[in-house]
This record gives sequence, C-alpha cells and structure tokens, in this order.
Amino acid sequence: MTKRFDFGAVDRRTIIKAGAVAGLTQIAAPFVWSARAADAIKVGMVDPFTGVYAAVAQNERIGVEYAVEQINAKGGVLGRPIELLVEDSANDVGTGVQKTRKLIERDGIQFLIGDVNSGIALAIAQVANEKKVLHIVSGGHTDGITGIDCHWNVYRVCNTTKMEANSVASLLFFKYGKKWHFITPDYAFGHTLQEAAQADLQKFGGTVTGNELTPLGTTDFSAYLIKARAADPDVLLVLPQGLDMVNCLKQIAQFGIDKQIHVAGLQQELESLEAMPPEARVGIWMFEWYWKQPGVPGVEKFVADIRKRSGGKVPTARTWFGYTSMMTYALVANQAKTLDGVKLAKALGDFELPDEVKLQPNKCYYRAGDHQLMTSAFVGQALTKPAGDPEDLFQVDQVVPGDKTSPPESETGCNLVWPS
Amino acid sequence: MTQLLLFNVTNGLIIGAFYVLMAIGLSLILNLSNVINFAHGGFLVVGGYIAYTLEPYLGFWGALIVSPFLTALIGLAVEKVLISRVYGRDPLYSLLLTFGLAFILEDGTRVIWGANGKPFTIPAVLAQPLSNQFFFITGYRLFMVVIVAVMIVLLFMLLRYTRIGIRIRAGTLDLETVAALGVNVGALRSLNFAVGIFLAGLSGVLAGGQLGLEPTMGAGLLMPSFIAIIVGGVGSLTGTLVGGLLIGVASGVTAVYFPAASEAVMYVLMAVVLLVRPRGLFGEEGMLT
Repeated sequence: MTKRFDFGAVDRRTIIKAGAVAGLTQIAAPFVWSARAADAIKVGMVDPFTGVYAAVAQNERIGVEYAVEQINAKGGVLGRPIELLVEDSANDVGTGVQKTRKLIERDGIQFLIGDVNSGIALAIAQVANEKKVLHIVSGGHTDGITGIDCHWNVYRVCNTTKMEANSVASLLFFKYGKKWHFITPDYAFGHTLQEAAQADLQKFGGTVTGNELTPLGTTDFSAYLIKARAADPDVLLVLPQGLDMVNCLKQIAQFGIDKQIHVAGLQQELESLEAMPPEARVGIWMFEWYWKQPGVPGVEKFVADIRKRSGGKVPTARTWFGYTSMMTYALVANQAKTLDGVKLAKALGDFELPDEVKLQPNKCYYRAGDHQLMTSAFVGQALTKPAGDPEDLFQVDQVVPGDKTSPPESETGCNLVWPS
Repeated sequence: MTQLLLFNVTNGLIIGAFYVLMAIGLSLILNLSNVINFAHGGFLVVGGYIAYTLEPYLGFWGALIVSPFLTALIGLAVEKVLISRVYGRDPLYSLLLTFGLAFILEDGTRVIWGANGKPFTIPAVLAQPLSNQFFFITGYRLFMVVIVAVMIVLLFMLLRYTRIGIRIRAGTLDLETVAALGVNVGALRSLNFAVGIFLAGLSGVLAGGQLGLEPTMGAGLLMPSFIAIIVGGVGSLTGTLVGGLLIGVASGVTAVYFPAASEAVMYVLMAVVLLVRPRGLFGEEGMLT
C-alpha cells in the first residue's frame, strides 16, 4: 500500500488538465453567445429541475418551450422573438432567489415564470416585486401567493389550495361519508390544504377523526396508517404530493386499507399516477387540467404537439401551466403593445384566455382583485386500469369552473399595492 | 393504546430491518476502507432501476437476484476507477468524491430513466396483508425481513469462516499489518466494496417494491443508515444491526405519540449516544480516529 502525499503540489499533469479545461471553455463559450439573438425579449424560468419535483418541473418547461416556439413562429412579441433562459432552483429557497436575481440583474429578463415549490415561489415573487418584473407563478399552490402575500406584479396559473379543497369536498362528503382522517405533509402547502378541507367538512357538519402530520420526504407511512385505521374514519384523505404520495398510496394498497376505508384526496397529478402500480391508483381526486377532453377546442392539437416533443408522453397539468404562463405574457404584451411591467400587470386584470390557450370548456380569466387565474377543477376518479391509452389514468366526472371553487376576492386577504 | 404501541414496535422492527441491510453495506466499506460512502443511496437507486428494467424479461424474482450483482459490478468499476485513488488520503477526499458521485448517480438515473417515478410491481402473493388484524404485516414486508436475516447470516458466516472474511476483519483492525503479511489489500478493498454495493443494490430492489421508484429516493434512506452506524458504533457490524433495529423502533413508536418528531427522534437518539457513549453501543474505543 503506497501513501501519496503529493496532493498539495501542482505537477505537470495538473497544469495540462487545467489547460484542457480552459481550452474547452474557449470552444464552448461562443456557442452559447451565438444562440442569443440581439433584439430578443428575455424571459426567465426558475423551477426545481433537480430534487423531488424534477419530473413536474420538467413538464412545465416542456410547456413553456412549446409556447415560445408557437409565439416565435407567429412573429414573437411586438415583432421581437422570445429568448428563454432557464435556471434550476434545486428545490432550495436560497438558490431560487439567487438565480432569480441573476436572471433579472445580469440577463435583464422582462418576465419571470416559476416555481413549483410554494416556498420558493413566494420568495422569488418578492424579488420580482422589488425589481418591478412581471411574474407568473406557474405551479406553487399555497394560498398566500394570491392571498395575504400578493403583489401587484405577481399572477398565478395553478389553483390555490382553497380552490382544490372546495372542488372535491362536497362530493367526498356526500358520496363517501362524514368522518374524515387526514394524512398531511408537514409544511405550508399541506397545512393550508388540510385547513381548507377541514373547514369545508365542518361546514357540512362532518367530523375529523385525526390529522397525521408527516414530514416531507417520509418513506414509510405504516405508523401513520396504523393510527388512521385504528380511528375508523369513513374517508382517508391523502394530501402529500409527489414521491411521498406514491409511497403512501402504494403502502395503503399493500395493507389493503382501501378495501376497508374510502381512500381519496384533493390534488392529484398524472406524474404521480404514472409512478404507481395499478392497485395503488384508487379514489376520488381533482386534476388541475386533464389531457382527454373530447370536443374541447384546441386540446387535441395541443396533446399531439406535446407528444412530439416529449417522446410520446401526453401533456400533464404541469405542461399546461407552463404553456399558459408563457402564452399569457405574449398575449397581453401584444394586446397592450408594451413591455412595461406595471402596464402589463394592469392589463392582465380580468384578462380572459382564448380557446387555444385555456384548453378547457369553462371561462378562464385572471381575477383583477387577487391575480388568481379562475381555472377549472377536473374532478373524478383514479383508474386502476387505463381506459384505452396507457396514460389515460383518470376519469373526469365533472369540470367545475374556477369562480365556483374560489372564495370571493374579498376573502382571500389580498391587498394589492401598486407602485405610485 | 397498548395494541397500537405493540403494532408500532413490530412495525418499527420491520422498518429497522431494512435500514440494517443498507447500513451493513455502508459499514463494511467504512470499516475496511475508511470511506464514508455518500453515494450508497445512489447505488440503491441504481439497483432499483436495474430491477425495474429487468422485470419484464426476468420477472420479479429474476430481477431480485440479477440486479444486485449488476449493481455490484458498477460499484466495482467505480471503485477501481475513482474511489481506489483516494485510499490512504484524508477521509475528506473520499467524502467529497462520494458526495459528488451521489449527485452523478442521481442525475444519471434521471437522464436514463427519466425524472418521473416508475411503477415497480411486486408479485400479487406478496402484495397483501397476512391477516386482517395485523394488516401492516404484508407478505412483502415479511419477505423483506427474511431476506435481510438471510443476508446477515450469510455475511457473518463469510466474515467468520472464510479466508477472505477473516482478512476483511483483520484489515478493519490493522490494515498495514495485513498488507505487510502479503495480502493484496487493493483486491481485498475492491471485493469488500463490491459486497457493500451488492447490499445497496439488493436494498434498492426491495425498496422499489414498497416505495416509489424515483431518482431521489436514495437520499431519504441514506441518513437513517448513517445514524444506525453511529448509534451501533463505528467498526462493529453487530452494532450496525442493533442500531438499525433500534432507530426503526424508536421512529415507529414516536409516530404514535408525536408524529412530527418521528424523524427527529433518530437524531436525538444519535445525539444521546454520542454524548453518553461516543464510541456507539458496540463500537471499540479509538476506531477511525
């Protein structure tokens, strides 16, 4: 065994390696620069492309990129092409803020999209507000973004947790029963979602048998499931998202709990259903957008186009969030004929999305009072057996319009302060 | 309440058994090579994904057997090319190397298999509870415990009764003397590393059966394994075994009374052990200093 103590010294090899790296940078750099058109309008996207939300973030990106391609093919925004700059927030608030500052201060973006993580979305909205840049939160659900923490420059495409709860609660109550038990992810999103559902339940006269707060990243849910089953509720509501939800539902199915208690939840996503074995795909849920909508204008073309870009995979709600966020900017800027952040934010108040962007049957518009998109909830059931297409894993029973699920503007707690 | 407690103790032992399988592999590598393998979770994920890929061709049982061997082969290659270069240096080097490797493995899985989770299915016979009352003891969980027990017995027999095993144990205590006696320490370390990664791969296949298979799944399972080693005592495989079971039970029982602390309790346990008995429950004083 030889011990090497030479790691402090700079030898010939190190110098050669350093030279090679320097050489590579020389070749790579001009390529990056040449991809940037001189008069392009820069748009920044900050999303967690690594970490637990990588899959949904990637789908949002596909939607944004597709929108950019569509916009540029039709002459861009005010005659200028869109150039998309994408940054990875790595599912970390500090990183997200740092990347946002870089996009605004160094790259000079005019418009910001992101983040999937509610905590990061709130933080970067603050930065965008400070810099007066129009920002659309594509996929962060916590209520504050268009509630008590709202800003004049921040709009949101995805639902609030309150909207999600309101869309499913009555159906669950009248169909499944009045004693509910919650499994809740222990952070901002989970708490607001659970509180919203509990408020609905109590309004109907139901009772809560328990609320299991599970740390984010829980792998084994058995201890919580043992408690939940002992409480003997009518409905077990599974609120964690992503990998946590997959783990939880997989274990529920293996324990056979879904055969004794109705298992359901509020927000469900295609990404999660696709990661589950058939027996775990059970219960009533809401989707924020679904790809199978026969007869609704534009949906078929959107699905076909996205399939071409994503190796045959259908668009998910996330793809639609990304697409809609980007299209909104182009539509409003072309209509208002300006790139000024304040003017655009004003113009977006009560702005209604056209058929080819909303891709749903109901009216879809940004509410002026809290900047929340009034988008539909697709309420239905998870399918154990796919209905035809292998990605058709959800049966939509009703499409509830956004202004039916959302509390009135006066109750959101949002007080918009515009720059003087 | 007593029943609930009893349920959770049993349940904790089952979870603990899984931590043990992962921690033993980690511990083997740490003991002989002084390498804190942060990439262990990454290898676990690779094992799970290889099994997922093989399942359509070999079935669950075939994948369960083949995948850990393939993962061990990848581990062996990584050891030869990368890890063997930092042996004998400050442990910080191997720490940084395996830390980077963990990211590479996670992103590599993402590039090859995609960021979205995969539905790894287990045979229907295993995927149901054995009785209605003890619904949390499913065929699969019992099967996992049996596999862990068999692997541990095999490993202890290997270490006790074979020439290689005795050399690994001797190397753990005094590698320089073992080298001076003419043993090929490089090959011994490679083999030992491969055995450790084999266990990581096996853990990956087993985890894939009841958890969602996703590139990030290894991260959440790695920390309990480290804690199991520290609680049990660095350098002692028996300690790792006891440590793993202990944190499984502690976490299971805490979930009954104070769920929010079910994860934190593992760290509290570790802190207490470090304060009261810094060498760990079964560790020998002066190891790895």
